[in-house]
Amino acid sequence: MGPLTSKRVFSVVALCMMVGLLLLPVVVALPSLANGEEVSAGDAAKKDGEKVEKGRDVYYKTEGIVVGAPAPVTTDGPKDYPRYNFESRVLLWFANQQHLYYGSFVLAVPIFCMIIEFMGVVTKDKALAKRYDQLAYDFIKISLTAYSLTAILGGILIFTFLTLYPAFFSYLSGIFRPVMHIYALMFVAESGTLYIYYYGWDKMREGFLKWIHLSMSVILNIIGTLLMFLANSWIGFMMSPAGVDEQGRYLGNIWHVIHTALWNPLNLHRILGNMAFGGGVVAAYAAYKFLAAKTDEDRAHYDWMGYIAMALGVAFLIPLPFAGYWLMREVYAYRQQMGITLMGGLLAWLFIIQATMIGILFLSTNYYLWQAMGRMRGAEKYQRYIKYLVFLLASGFIVFITPHTMVMTPAELKAMGGQQHPVLGNYGVMSAKNGGINVIITTTVLSFVWYMRGNKVSTVSWAKFGNIFMGVFFFFAYINIIFLAIYGYYIPANVRVGLSVPQVATTLSCLFFMFALNSFMMKGAKQMGAIEWGKISARSQYALIMLATAFTWMMGLMGYIRSSVRLFWHVNEIMRDNSPWAYTHTVGFAANMISFNVLFFWITILFVFWLGSLAAKKVPVEAKAGIPGSVPQPATSH
Amino acid sequence: MKALMSLGALIGVAGILLLGGMVFDIVPSTTVRLVEGYMPIQMIVEVACYVVGFAGLSYILNAMGMAIPRFWQGIGFWVFFLMYLKFRVYPPIPFSVRAMYGTVALVTVFMWISANEEDWKKFKQPIMNVLDAQTGANRLLRYAYLVLIPILVGGFSFNAMMPKSEEPIELRTVHPAPPASTKVHGKTYVLQTSQNPYRVNPEGKYDQEFSNANIVEQSMGRLMKPNANPWDDKNQGYLKYVREGGEIFFQNCHFCHGDNLNGRGLHAFAFNPIPANFTDPGTIAQLQETFIFWRVSKGGIGLPNEGFPWASVMPPWEQHLTVDEIWKVILFEYWHTGYYPRTWD
Repeated sequence: MGPLTSKRVFSVVALCMMVGLLLLPVVVALPSLANGEEVSAGDAAKKDGEKVEKGRDVYYKTEGIVVGAPAPVTTDGPKDYPRYNFESRVLLWFANQQHLYYGSFVLAVPIFCMIIEFMGVVTKDKALAKRYDQLAYDFIKISLTAYSLTAILGGILIFTFLTLYPAFFSYLSGIFRPVMHIYALMFVAESGTLYIYYYGWDKMREGFLKWIHLSMSVILNIIGTLLMFLANSWIGFMMSPAGVDEQGRYLGNIWHVIHTALWNPLNLHRILGNMAFGGGVVAAYAAYKFLAAKTDEDRAHYDWMGYIAMALGVAFLIPLPFAGYWLMREVYAYRQQMGITLMGGLLAWLFIIQATMIGILFLSTNYYLWQAMGRMRGAEKYQRYIKYLVFLLASGFIVFITPHTMVMTPAELKAMGGQQHPVLGNYGVMSAKNGGINVIITTTVLSFVWYMRGNKVSTVSWAKFGNIFMGVFFFFAYINIIFLAIYGYYIPANVRVGLSVPQVATTLSCLFFMFALNSFMMKGAKQMGAIEWGKISARSQYALIMLATAFTWMMGLMGYIRSSVRLFWHVNEIMRDNSPWAYTHTVGFAANMISFNVLFFWITILFVFWLGSLAAKKVPVEAKAGIPGSVPQPATSH
Repeated sequence: MKALMSLGALIGVAGILLLGGMVFDIVPSTTVRLVEGYMPIQMIVEVACYVVGFAGLSYILNAMGMAIPRFWQGIGFWVFFLMYLKFRVYPPIPFSVRAMYGTVALVTVFMWISANEEDWKKFKQPIMNVLDAQTGANRLLRYAYLVLIPILVGGFSFNAMMPKSEEPIELRTVHPAPPASTKVHGKTYVLQTSQNPYRVNPEGKYDQEFSNANIVEQSMGRLMKPNANPWDDKNQGYLKYVREGGEIFFQNCHFCHGDNLNGRGLHAFAFNPIPANFTDPGTIAQLQETFIFWRVSKGGIGLPNEGFPWASVMPPWEQHLTVDEIWKVILFEYWHTGYYPRTWD
């Protein structure tokens, strides 16, 4: 066995041992889960010769042995709702939201690092590989400080629960007792892996060790994702409880408690949302650094960083509305009145605000891409067609934000001749809105395709056919989306809901087929000029900041909507909220509160960025080698 | 290309003249009718024609050496769109929605005129000229703005703060969330699972597909399907129940909801808002039959807190009709409008 091989074996063994040690606490905790409380409780009951009481699961409708206490019936007073001279709910809202922002960020960024580091490892171009590696390192560096803040905010959140909502927190932690410590231990595993991953970066820079390092990022992300799934199970339980009987008594099956009706849709929605959010924040960081940059070299680096972060964020933003649609579908399937409260009733106006934010996200993305075409020669040919893309985006946006319940004075209501407007009323329903958002996303895909071929001319023999095919494909995609949106009015609702599938399929076909076809066409394409990184308008960077702000605001909004839909329940239909704050806030108050949370997050994240910049000053000079801008960069790097 | 653009220019000019006529009340806004049932798509197509028309007009004027500056193109299109919403679309659109659309138009016009550096410079130029005030005219303009802008802002503020005698804006929830169950005539109905007992096939089993095949056609005119006339005495089962529901409707409901079920009955305009328009795709077409059952049974006073302000005078029909009669009248409403009740399977 040569020295190199023994080093490899040692690395693999070390990695396995590390994983084993990190997961040991979890594995140790598993047998108690497998046995369940059911058995021990049953045994205890048998020993005492008492009659075993059984309960019926409110969701799964299965019978189980009652092992938990009923949900407490709280009363407004210092025992159940101790308080400061302030609205407890708002304090909890603030603590929760800040923890969520940072939690999302630190879960998303390591996924980016994994992708970018992988791109660096597989890229043959050494200069480019080095740039990717440096970028991944920059990303993880930003998230490291944010990680500490996440933990601090998590502590604040728990203290807030314990001090302001002790009865509710005691009940919830009682239900989730079998997994509470697993959650905490996984946090330890996450931290351990993250620190080894970060501090081992330089030591594991080359060869086989690099692959080991990359594998660690995979492990890190698996642990992070599982952590999030566990946290999601609590909110899933609060919205759509399962695993308990009608009195809220735990029936011994922790899997039922975790795997509630909304758990999986929430998981998917949050993964995608976190990624899009993380991309947005990093893009905003790059934009801020770009605007503050003093040298062309720095501008080039941060322009490129912003582009990569934006592209990754948008890659996860595109499927996000579809994941949201699935979540809402499951909400309706779980409780009709919950769905109506959300989308047609009390909270419907918040959904209009959400639609506006989604529209802003896509508009900002398109605007950034059009601006980015300005830094490559040859892209001018697309400029005169941009007005038509603007029209498509505006049409989709207008339909998407049209409210079903319009705000109007009684005089306007009378002039309109009723609550329903014959023109706009049709835009206010789901069929039209699905059409609107799919038009917006397809147009965003088209902007991406234009950007990717901006400075190139295809040299393949079938280029003309390819271009015509792409044009026809997009044309019929629009026709199909709009046709299905109209057709939706003429068919039963349950069939109409299914129409979203071909609409989404059309949009995703454009995304995958057209990207693939474009890549084939652009292989060995004639370059009209290099991408001049750093030579992009300041407006584009403001678009990135707008993108990130809209993400943050929308996350705050959707979190509020998801939480508010329980109305006066701590745990839907199981544990009633009897505090004085069991009412729904006005739209204006909620919007102000969300804005405050957004502002606070951005102020603190600026602090995190500043800390990162302090560390950057110590980075050796050679680490910056290969930064774009100093020499003309290959045009293939987008 | 030139011919195509000329055609576009013609459309643009005709469109501007038509809209101008509507703004100054020379041409009624119904000159080019918005066809019921096609209105939403008609509006988008009309605006698309205008966009193509303006592109053609700009091209031709450019070729003639009379190009419209980018600044005025942007401002002009935005003003056009506001005018279009205000004077073309009828019935009038509430201000809140026009404000939303206007903002979207403003943002997208900005995106268009600043999509590349050259256009952005062209757009900014007149503004920069006035700010720099290198010529006498620009200097004059700058002073004019210095005076006018504060006056305008002050005027808007005064107008916004001035106490008004009109009724305040209502953010009314048209479809408040229903309860999980409702008790009518002593029996509890779970809204998620209950079914209309009269929506049956010839075998007497609940069958939506069968009833859906016998409702009126949705296309122009809402015509009855051949062999699906409820007023044929020979009909039994579903169509018979529709007829019975129709009789109940015309004895009790049509005074307000109208004989076309469009919310324009004899007494309708005594109320504000007027009664619900069932032919609109945003009302019963969006709801489960059980939702309608709950609303009809409990009436306006049965609306939950969420439905505030409770601007509904519909009586609680459970006090006047039997459960069977309520289900039958609902059956008729869906039959007559040609809509399918919402289902979740």
